Amino acid sequence: MVVYSFYIFDRHTECIYSRLWARQPDRPISSGPPPSRPISTSSTSSAPITLAPTNELNPPRRSTRLSAQDDAKLIFGTIFSLRNMVRKLGGPEDSFISYRTGQYKLHYYETPTSIKFVMLTDTQTLNMRNVLHQIYVNLYVEFVVKNPLSPVEHPGGEGVANELFELALDQFVKGVL
Amino acid sequence: MVVFALIIINKAGGLIYQRDFAEGLNKLSINDYLVLAGTFHGVHAITTRLNPLHQHNLPPSTSDVRPDPPSGIEVLETENFRLQCFSTLTGTKFLLFTEPQQPNVDKIVGRIYELYSDYVMKNPFYQLEMPVRCESFDRKLVQYVRPLNSR
Repeated sequence: MVVYSFYIFDRHTECIYSRLWARQPDRPISSGPPPSRPISTSSTSSAPITLAPTNELNPPRRSTRLSAQDDAKLIFGTIFSLRNMVRKLGGPEDSFISYRTGQYKLHYYETPTSIKFVMLTDTQTLNMRNVLHQIYVNLYVEFVVKNPLSPVEHPGGEGVANELFELALDQFVKGVL
Repeated sequence: MVVFALIIINKAGGLIYQRDFAEGLNKLSINDYLVLAGTFHGVHAITTRLNPLHQHNLPPSTSDVRPDPPSGIEVLETENFRLQCFSTLTGTKFLLFTEPQQPNVDKIVGRIYELYSDYVMKNPFYQLEMPVRCESFDRKLVQYVRPLNSR
């Protein structure tokens, strides 16, 4: 069982936290500057997610790889569409739990306040919904919501990627495996 | 064990067949089904791009063995149903809605694909990529699914 990445989206559809674990190095044949948004990896302890002012530095180039930022947007689009589809078919009480492709599996958990937790794992992984719920209850609420210095909303990911949360998340995910 | 519904989407994302077998899913208008088919087609394409492993960055090997192209959604699970998506090599997608605990759904979809190729594709009056209106397909499909549902 491998966890590839983890994302949190707020109720304004913004990605407020993303973390990538087992990912191959970005762009081996890199020509442009590195991705404009710092992404926290296991090696860097606390990299706050700041949105780049503009993307002018990046020359338009077609690569088969997407930047991590585009990945987050695509993931949000996917879960948003699937969630609406599921609600239409299964009734307003139904909720979307996970989907699996040949390569990976995406797990989804939404809190009543519309904060969305998404985790990408390998295909063998069983239901991770309770794990995402635990991350919300034991880590997000404890270290982000109860943090007196963190704002109520998190525009641009402000206040989410604090040291305690990242450390605890790392330990929790390693403990689950 | 209940099979709720079957949807067939052509390679352009258009709905070409929709049939309910049992109660359990909300009834939608035909327009909503068309929208749903189009949305699913788009989401399916996106999910192939989200592959976190990026195996296609590996240098091309000289042997004839090619890795499988990344596949889109195969199974979607929700609290009330499970959606199995079978994508044929030509891009037609079969979506089968079943109970969450239904076993061997891939076998059922495979059998439905057989029925499709026998009674739709071999029908000389069927126009490719157009809505499926083949009475024999309907009949065989119901004949196959009804015993599954009453088991």
